[in-house]
Amino acid sequence: MIDAITLEVVKNALLYASEEMGITVRNSAYSPNIKERLDHSCALFDREGRLIAQAEHIPVHLGSLPWGLRQMLGHVRHGGGGMRPGEMWVANDPYITGTHLNDVTVMRPVFHEGDLVGFAASKAHHTDVGGAAPGSMSPDAADLFAEGLVVPPLRLVANDAPVPSAVELFCANSRTPQTRAGDLRAQIAGNYTGERRLLELYERYGTATVEEALAQASDDSELRMRAALRALGNGIFQAEDFLEGPALFQPDPVEGCASTNLLRIFVRLELRDGEAHFDYTGTCEQVSYPLNAVFGVTLSGVHYALRAVTDPTIPMNEGCFRPVHVHVPEGTLLNPHRPAPVAGGNVETSTRNAGVVLRALGQAAPGRVPAPSGGTMSNVLLGGVRLDGRAWVFYETNGCGMGARPASDGLSGIQCDMTNTMNTPIEAVEREFPLRITRYEFARGTGGQGEHRGGDGLIRAIQLLDGEAHASLLADRHRLAPPGALGGEPGACGRHTLVRDGREAPLPAKASLTLEPGDTIVVQTPGGGGYGTP
Amino acid sequence: MLRVGIDVGGTFTDVFAADGERGTVEIRKVPTTPRAPEIAVLDAVRSLLQRNRRVVEWLGHSSTIATNALLGQQGLELPRVVLVTTRGFRDVIEIGRQNRSRIYDLFVERPRPLVAREDRLTVKERIDYAGAVVEPIDEQSLAEAVEAVRERMPCAVAVCLLNAYANGEHERRVARELRERLQLEYVVCSSAIDPEYREYERFSTAVVSAALEPLVAGYLAALADGLKENGVTAPVHVMRSDGGMSEAWIAAKTPAALIESGPASGVIAAAALARRRRIERALSFDMGGTTAKAGAILDGKPEVVTEYEAAGATHSGRAIKGSGYPVRYPFVDLSEVSAGGGTIAWIDDAKRLRVGPLSAGADPGPACYGRSDRATVTDANVVLGRLHQTHLLGGTFPIDARRARDAIAMLGVQIGLGVEQTAGGIIRLIDAQMAKALRIVTIERGLDPRDFTMIAFGGNGPLHACSLAEELGIGRVVVPLHPGLLSAQGLLVVDLSAEHAHSVLRATGDTREEEIAQIFASLESRGRELLRAQGITDGEMRVLRVLDVRYSGQSFELQIEYASSLREVEQRFHNLHRSRYGYAVEDEIVELVNARSTVVATQPHGERSDHPCHPERAHTNVRATSKDRPNETRRLWIESSFVRVPVFQRDDLLPGGEITGPAIIEEYDCTTYVAPEWRARVLDEGTLSLRR
Repeated sequence: MIDAITLEVVKNALLYASEEMGITVRNSAYSPNIKERLDHSCALFDREGRLIAQAEHIPVHLGSLPWGLRQMLGHVRHGGGGMRPGEMWVANDPYITGTHLNDVTVMRPVFHEGDLVGFAASKAHHTDVGGAAPGSMSPDAADLFAEGLVVPPLRLVANDAPVPSAVELFCANSRTPQTRAGDLRAQIAGNYTGERRLLELYERYGTATVEEALAQASDDSELRMRAALRALGNGIFQAEDFLEGPALFQPDPVEGCASTNLLRIFVRLELRDGEAHFDYTGTCEQVSYPLNAVFGVTLSGVHYALRAVTDPTIPMNEGCFRPVHVHVPEGTLLNPHRPAPVAGGNVETSTRNAGVVLRALGQAAPGRVPAPSGGTMSNVLLGGVRLDGRAWVFYETNGCGMGARPASDGLSGIQCDMTNTMNTPIEAVEREFPLRITRYEFARGTGGQGEHRGGDGLIRAIQLLDGEAHASLLADRHRLAPPGALGGEPGACGRHTLVRDGREAPLPAKASLTLEPGDTIVVQTPGGGGYGTP
Repeated sequence: MLRVGIDVGGTFTDVFAADGERGTVEIRKVPTTPRAPEIAVLDAVRSLLQRNRRVVEWLGHSSTIATNALLGQQGLELPRVVLVTTRGFRDVIEIGRQNRSRIYDLFVERPRPLVAREDRLTVKERIDYAGAVVEPIDEQSLAEAVEAVRERMPCAVAVCLLNAYANGEHERRVARELRERLQLEYVVCSSAIDPEYREYERFSTAVVSAALEPLVAGYLAALADGLKENGVTAPVHVMRSDGGMSEAWIAAKTPAALIESGPASGVIAAAALARRRRIERALSFDMGGTTAKAGAILDGKPEVVTEYEAAGATHSGRAIKGSGYPVRYPFVDLSEVSAGGGTIAWIDDAKRLRVGPLSAGADPGPACYGRSDRATVTDANVVLGRLHQTHLLGGTFPIDARRARDAIAMLGVQIGLGVEQTAGGIIRLIDAQMAKALRIVTIERGLDPRDFTMIAFGGNGPLHACSLAEELGIGRVVVPLHPGLLSAQGLLVVDLSAEHAHSVLRATGDTREEEIAQIFASLESRGRELLRAQGITDGEMRVLRVLDVRYSGQSFELQIEYASSLREVEQRFHNLHRSRYGYAVEDEIVELVNARSTVVATQPHGERSDHPCHPERAHTNVRATSKDRPNETRRLWIESSFVRVPVFQRDDLLPGGEITGPAIIEEYDCTTYVAPEWRARVLDEGTLSLRR
C-alpha cells in the first residue's frame, strides 16, 4: 500500500506528461494547422491500452483517441507481428483510429526492463492526405477511398529510426508533401517525450507503485464521475436533432426542403444510480456522402458533453468511461459500415451529436446547459495552383454564435462544443495564399432573442486573386435554425454566397466548386439560440 | 550618493538602496497602495532620506500599474478608447483567435473588451500583404470617422488597419487627421507600436497601449513631481518587461512594454548573479505569496519571448490563448503557476488532499496570520518547523503557530493523516505544481532541467528550493543575499536599452545582405537616438541584432543573432532547430520574419562584483561580527519524526563557511531551508551555494 501523497504526485506527473507531449508536438510541427490552430491531441495508455492521461486539447479526440488506440492495438496483434521495442506505428484509417483520414495517429509502445508497460500516442490533423479534393474533405466523396489515402497500422519507426518508405507513403499521397514529413516528425518527437516521462516514473517509484497509482487514479476518476452522475438523479431523457444532407447546387428556399434530406440523430439517455446509458436506436441510417461519423467520434461527443455538464476537473482517464455505456446500432449515421465516407462526420455530425447529448443532459440538469449553439464548424477548404506552378491547400473552420446561457448572453463568433481551433490570421492567409479576406466581422442580429441573447455568427469573405482553385464548403444549419431554449428564439441560419462578376449567387451548405480569379466566397455562420422568453 | 531600486509588488513595495561611498545597504518593505502606487513609493523614499541625507544619483523602478489596470484593479479604471480600423474588420479585436479559453466550460467568458462595440469605427481603405495600396483611403469615410470620434470624445484612440505592418502610410494619415482636427493627445498607430504581421495580436497591442497610456503617463508624472518635492532630481528609470530600462518619459509612451516590469527585474538580478558565478544554465525560481515564476537563463542571458497574454489565465505555467489581452513586445520568458505561501490546501470529493489554485493572498492571508482558518502552504511550513514559530520579517510580524496547526489538523482528520504528515503532503503537492513551471521553461527548449542550477528567491523560494530541486533532479541551488528583495536589487544592475523591430518576411535566398544591413541600420539609428536623448554617448552603446527565423511554411520562429552574413544565420538556425526540436531540414527554404535591434548602454557600475557600489559586495563590507555557531535550534519534522535542527542568522555567516543540512538560515526577508543530504557553502559575496 503506497501513501496517498505519493499517489497524488504520480497522478499529477502522468497528466502533465501528456501535456508535455503536446508541447513537443506543437513546437516541432510544421503545418499551420497544428502550430497556429493546435489541432492535435496527446495521451498515455497502460499496457492493456487503457487511457492513463489525456491532455485537454481538442474535444473531438476525447473519446476517439482511446477507442482508436485499442482498435489499433487489436489490429496489430491480430496481424501476428506484435510490437517490438524501438518501434512506432502509424495509421489513419478512421474505421480503426476513430475520426477521419486527416487525423493521423502515431503510437509508441513503451518498454521498461524488457516488458511492455504502456503506450504514448498522438493524433494530429494533417491538412492534406490526398483524395479528390484539396484538404481531403470533399463533400462529394461517395466512399472512403475518394476522401484520401487510407493507411492501416504500419511501422513508422523501427529500431528508433523512421522507416523512409512509410514517411514517403504519406508524402507521395499529399498535395503538401514537405509538411507531411515535418508533422510526422513532430508526432514522433512527442511520443518520445511521453515515453521518457513515463519511464522516469517507473524508474523512480518502481513498477508496483506506478501501477498501483494508475489503478488508483482510474478508480478515483470513476468514483468522482459516478458521484457527479448520481447527483443528476435517476431518469430517462430523450433528445433529437437533424443534420442537413447535401443538395449540391440546388439553392432551394427553406420551404422547398424535402424532409427526407434531413438526417435524424436520436438519443435515449437513462441515468441510473451513477451510471449513464446512451442508446442511439432511432438514429437514421448511414448515408452515401461524408456525413457519417465513426463510432469513436460518437463517443467523443458523449464524453465531451458529460464532462462539460458534470465536472471538467475530473482527471481524464479510463475511470471516466466506466460508468458510461453507449449503444449505437451498426449501419447508422453514428456507426457506419466501412467504407462509407466520413470526413464531415468528424466535424459536422460530431457537433450535432454533442448538441443532442447536451440537450438530453439539460433535462436532467436544468439551468446547467445553454441553448444550442450555431452548431456547425463551417469548414472551408481551398486549394489550387498558383501562377508560378506552386500547389497550395488552405483549411479553416469558422466560429459561430454560442447559445445563450441561463444567466448570460452567448458569445459571438467563437468555436463551440467539439472544436476549439484558432483562426488563421488574415495577414497570414494573404501572405501565404493567393487569397484576400475582404470581410471578417460578426453577423449582427443573427443571435436568437431571449431573456439572454444567443451569440452572433460570423461573416468571413474570401477572394481568389489568381490562378485557379477548387473550393469545398462543409457547413450545416443553413435550413434548420439553431433552436432557442425555454422560450428563447432561434438563431439565424448560416449562408454561403458566391460573388462572381459583381453578381451574388447562393451556394448550398455543402458545396464543391471551381473558383475563377476575382471570385469571392462569403461564409456567414449561424447565430446561437436565445435562452428564456425575450 | 545613493543608488535606489524600488519594486512595487502586489503586497509590498520593496526598496533597496546602496551607498557606494559608505559601502552600506539599506532595505525597506512598506505596504503597497494599489489605488495610487506613488504614495507608498514616496513614503519609502522619504523614510529613506530622513535617516540618510544623501543625494540619489540613480533611481530604478518597477511597477505593476499596467498589469493591475488590465486586471481591473479598483481605482485604476481604464479610460474610454475608440478604435479606427479597416471597413469590414471592426470585430477582429473581439473575435480574437476565435477559440475559447476553457474548452469544457459552457459558461466561459471572453476578457472584457477594451473597446466597446459602438466605439469601433471604420474607414474604407485597403493595403495588401506586400504594402501596395489596393484601395486608397476613402475621404468621406475618413471624415465620418473623425466626426464619430469627435462625438465620443475618448481619452485615447487606437488606429489599426489591415497589413499596416507592411505599409503604415494609411494609419499615419488617419492619426494625423485625428490629432490635427481634434487635438487628441493619445493616438496610437499599430504600425508604429508593433510593426509585425498577424492582425489580432498587433491590434490588441495597440489598443492595450492606447488604454494604458493616459494612466501610466499620469502615474509617472505624479511620481516624478513627488520625487522632486522630496529633493530627488535623478531621472526615474523604469524596468520594461524585456529586462531593459527606459527613462520615465519614454516608458510613458510605450506603456504596454511595462506589463511584466516587476517579475523581469527579479530575473535580471538572477541573470547578473549567474554571470558573476559563471553559471551557464540557470533556472530562476521566484516564489512569493500567490505565484511562483520560473525562467531559463542561458549563458547569463534570460530567455526572451515576443508575445504575452496580459491579464490572462495560465495552465501548467503557460498562458492560455484567449484568456487575456495579447501584447507583442519582448518579454523575459517566465512560466507562472498559482503557488505561493498563501496557496490554500483542501480536500476534494474523492477524499484526496489538494493544494491550490486558490490563494488566501495577503489578506486574510495564511491561518497563522490570525485572520482565517484556511490552511495554506505557509501554515504547512510553520507546522513542520521550517518557519519561525512566533514571528516573521525579522521579528516585526507576529504569527500564531497554534492556529496554523489547527487549520492543518482540520484537513488531516478528513483523510486520516496526522498534522505533520498532512503538512508534509501539502509541501510535496505544491512542489509538484511548481516543478511544472520550472520544467516547462526547459523542455520547451529541448533542454533537461537536471543540467541546470537553480537560483532561488522571492519571499518563499529558498524555503522550497531543496525539495523542488530534488523533485527535478537538480543538484545545485544558489540563494542570493536578500532573496525577498531581489527584484528591487535588480533595478540597480539593469542596462538602459531601446528595442525596435521590423517585419522582413522574405526567404533568405531572395534577400540581399545589403537589404538586411539597411533595415538594421534604420532600426539602430532609432535606438541610438532614444539613448542619446537619455544622456548616453555613442561610445557607451552596444548593438544586438536578432532575426526571427523559420522554415517557410512554419508559423513560429527561432531568434538568431545576426553577426555578419545570412549564410551564417541559416546555419545557426538549422543548428538551433536541431537542438531544440530534434531535426533540421537543410535543403528547406529559410524565411526571415522580423528584424530586431536592441541598442544597449551597460551601466558602468552594473556588472562588476568588486565595485564598492555593488549591493552584495557592499553588504559583505558591513557584516558585523562573525559567528560560526547557530543562535538557536528548532524542532523540524523531517520524513516521519521531529529532529532538532540548528538555526543560523544569515548576517552572521562568514564567507567560506559551510553548513550541513538539515539546517535553517534566517534573514529579514526570507528563510532558507537546507534539507538533509544538502550542504550550504557561503561564497565570498555572501551568496549561498547549496549542493547535494
